[in-house]
Amino acid sequence: MMNSISSPHLHGGNRSQKIMLLVIAAAMPGLLTQLYWFGYGTLLNLMWAIVLGLLLEAGVLLLRQRPLGFFLTDGSVIVTALLLALALPPMAPWWLVSTATLFAVVFAKHLYGGLGNNPFNPAMAGYAICLIAFPASMTIWTSPYAYLDLADQWLWFWTEQGQLDAITQATPLDAIKHLQGNTVDEMWAANPDIVAYGDAMFWVNIAYLIGGIAMLLLKLFTWHAPVAMLASLAAMAVLFGAGEPDLYASAGNHLFLGATMLGAFFIITDPVSSATSRQGKLIFGAGIGILIYVIRTWGNYPDAVAFAVLLMNLAAPLIDQYTRPKAYGQQP
Amino acid sequence: MSQLFDFPGGVHPPANKQISKPGQIFELPLPEQLLIPLAQHIGAPAEPTVKAGDLVNKGQLIAKAKGSTSAHIHAPTSGTISNIDAYPIAHASGLKETCIALQADGKDTWHTAITQADPSMLDIQQIDQRIAAAGIIGMGGAGFPSSAKLATKKPIQTLIINGVECEPYITADDTLMQLESQAIIKGACLLLRLLPTAKCILVIEDNKPQAIAAMREAAEHSAIEVVVIPTKYPSGGEKQLIQNITGKQVPKGGIPADLGVLCLNVATVKAIYDAVYLGRPSIDRITTVTGNGVKQPGNYRILVGTSVDFLLSHCQADTSASQVVLGGPMMGFQLPDLQVPLIKTSNCLIVPDAQELPASNSPMACIRCGQCELACPAQLLPQQLYWLAKADAFDKIEQYNLMDCIECGACAYVCPSQIPLVQHYRYAKGKLRQQALESRQAEHAKLRFEAREQRLIDEQQAKEDRRKARAAAAAAAQAAKRSAKQDSDDPVAAAQARIAAKKQAANAPAKSKQNTVEQIAKPSHKDLKTAAAIARTKLKKAQKALTEAQASDHQDSAKLQATVQDLTTRSEAAAQALAHFESQLGVDPEAIKQAQVSWAKANAQVRKLTKSAPDETADAEQQEEYQQALMSAQQNLAKAQTHLHSLKHPTKEPSQ
Repeated sequence: MMNSISSPHLHGGNRSQKIMLLVIAAAMPGLLTQLYWFGYGTLLNLMWAIVLGLLLEAGVLLLRQRPLGFFLTDGSVIVTALLLALALPPMAPWWLVSTATLFAVVFAKHLYGGLGNNPFNPAMAGYAICLIAFPASMTIWTSPYAYLDLADQWLWFWTEQGQLDAITQATPLDAIKHLQGNTVDEMWAANPDIVAYGDAMFWVNIAYLIGGIAMLLLKLFTWHAPVAMLASLAAMAVLFGAGEPDLYASAGNHLFLGATMLGAFFIITDPVSSATSRQGKLIFGAGIGILIYVIRTWGNYPDAVAFAVLLMNLAAPLIDQYTRPKAYGQQP
Repeated sequence: MSQLFDFPGGVHPPANKQISKPGQIFELPLPEQLLIPLAQHIGAPAEPTVKAGDLVNKGQLIAKAKGSTSAHIHAPTSGTISNIDAYPIAHASGLKETCIALQADGKDTWHTAITQADPSMLDIQQIDQRIAAAGIIGMGGAGFPSSAKLATKKPIQTLIINGVECEPYITADDTLMQLESQAIIKGACLLLRLLPTAKCILVIEDNKPQAIAAMREAAEHSAIEVVVIPTKYPSGGEKQLIQNITGKQVPKGGIPADLGVLCLNVATVKAIYDAVYLGRPSIDRITTVTGNGVKQPGNYRILVGTSVDFLLSHCQADTSASQVVLGGPMMGFQLPDLQVPLIKTSNCLIVPDAQELPASNSPMACIRCGQCELACPAQLLPQQLYWLAKADAFDKIEQYNLMDCIECGACAYVCPSQIPLVQHYRYAKGKLRQQALESRQAEHAKLRFEAREQRLIDEQQAKEDRRKARAAAAAAAQAAKRSAKQDSDDPVAAAQARIAAKKQAANAPAKSKQNTVEQIAKPSHKDLKTAAAIARTKLKKAQKALTEAQASDHQDSAKLQATVQDLTTRSEAAAQALAHFESQLGVDPEAIKQAQVSWAKANAQVRKLTKSAPDETADAEQQEEYQQALMSAQQNLAKAQTHLHSLKHPTKEPSQ
């Protein structure tokens, strides 16, 4: 007598929690690669973001008088915390992670009505706020292999005490942006540490790509948005780099440096804040690819995934409006 | 068949078809009572041709089709019509519909009019007639009358016979194809005679190898092609099947015949064979009884009107664990009442155990994952429809083609948040239908209102015309008068004229008073009173006019003064005449006043006593005292009344 009232009486057994768990699992190669090259910082980011994220979620749910157990176990806040931790620099101190998490969970998610109702990707909203508010802290990246041991990292995370100069450096995208009269090739030749950094970022991106393809095969999302984003980013790089290859980063640089693959498979595939139809996802992804190139090349920030995603989040409802698929019987 | 075209979306739920052991038909004992609903098909309910008490034989017409989209209904066995009334039918809400109750006599005697025929000796009209007479409807579930479908004027190029049976659990068509393949092919060949321009394709899902083999063998030397399609729910849906086979979509708002396609279920084709070859009407069918709650699952041949309870108890079903589902697990519905009858379209009963069709969990928030969109065979945006349905945005939801939703349940099947999407769509569809109905009614009311308004305007206009005609006639008469009497434009003169009119008015009543007093030979008391009152009033008016005239220093004030004096005199005369009359009658106003006062006192006394009557508990002495007091008060009152009356009407004898 406890059956559902309305048909269908069968259910495929798919659960939102399962989707969230698979996303987390798919991010593991990227996380481990990032830890391998850039140290324990990301791990501390992750722990703190998850703990604080759950606490904030619980607090807001209490204020909103929603059942705690039901919503805390949906896994969405853990995915948000994971994406934030992966995106934030390894040398982010506790207050930076806290600010980003607070903004992501409370402002970007719950003030809009909680899971399913947020127009902006919560992780990217939290990230962008910190990038605007604390640009200096947000751009401290460690050199590959030159990271602190766990104890020193712990100390740095909570107190910001420690020797940073030896281990930090500019990122490749940053270096290409500020060529200071050199060509790209000259810059690579003059800075072996940046070359090493680029190699590390390449492997990190490959790891995210692998996780992304796995999710694609598991049908967690369709190929439309990631492929459109990567294709448009590459196309922009070819289009504008072809005339001046010495002054512009190559398509390969754009695809495998920075947060490109993380963005393509883990950020823009967030269903809540993206366009819904397949055609809409193509436009949504392509728009992000173009914006990433534009902001990276002519904007003030070396990387641009967060801003590009947020801008296209804004456009998603409009895209949906104009990309409604024709229903059965309306095609010629 | 060169090519299959597939269709978008679809899901692969576990089929669970082995439970009901396809390939074997079980017979049921004859039920004692059958309950045959008059509305088993889409369209108008059939009209009973029998009444309670009638004896009927098996296959005899008991209700005839009403209108073009309707179907005959026949007695499934021989017996007595016991009642025709509203009974609960198989409906999710426990709806009641008119049914014919038939008490079986156990003999199962065929009606004598049922005769076999050799179709090669029949012409097309006769075949049509035999199909229409059999009351055959779409037995796959929709219940559209087959003869109405076959009556299409549109040229049919493709006849699709649907043996797909894509819903999990159901094996009725599978079984029928395995055991009755020859009959199905013969039925299909008959249909090809009716549709000479068509080629015939019989479609089966690839999870029914035995049915495929049987049908291929039967179809070997015929024009019928057996096509096997991949298993995917809902490939058996008419629209999906057509897209799968022809690559074309039935236009929105259209029917398959618009594409030159006609679809019939295998069971329907078998019923057509029975009707044409054997003359037998549609009175039975194969129903799958399945689920882990049934001890003897299988495919049972049931008579139309057999109760669900009768069938389930025969199959030793345990219905305590979970609610029985009529139809498949994807599109069927739970039966609130097991006494309801099975009908021509009842293809499956599922009696699940407690775990089999588990209750859905509390729905979580929609994360717009888009799984539903990938599953939707109608190419809709289920999640958008869900948000719009939740927001009651019915105008918008119609733009999102909600009405094209076939309620197959694929979206809800894949939803990771386990949202009962179909329920939301049914709600919104109901609202849309209601809105459409209301707007039709409003439109109708508006037309009626406008017609009424127009009628009232016309009537008003006619009235106005008549009035104008009368006014014109009156104006002509007035004009004649006016030409005789010239009006002055001088305001002073006009004022004078008004004053003159006033004086005239003041004089006139005075004269009438004179008349009253002097000319009427025997004035009554009342007449005199009235005359005196009128004289007083006119005097007052004249006095007022005089005051006004004096205030404005008018030259006529002297004249008015004289009038007032005159009126004063007349008024006094009238008063005297009245007094004289009264004294003659012997009426003394002072005495009357006193008599009235004493009457009122006596009356008050009686009333007071009546109110303060002692209750039943008072002793006898008190009662007597009260009675005496009351009696004396009443006597006083009677005296006062007699006295008053004699004063008022001295000429008459007292009435008491």
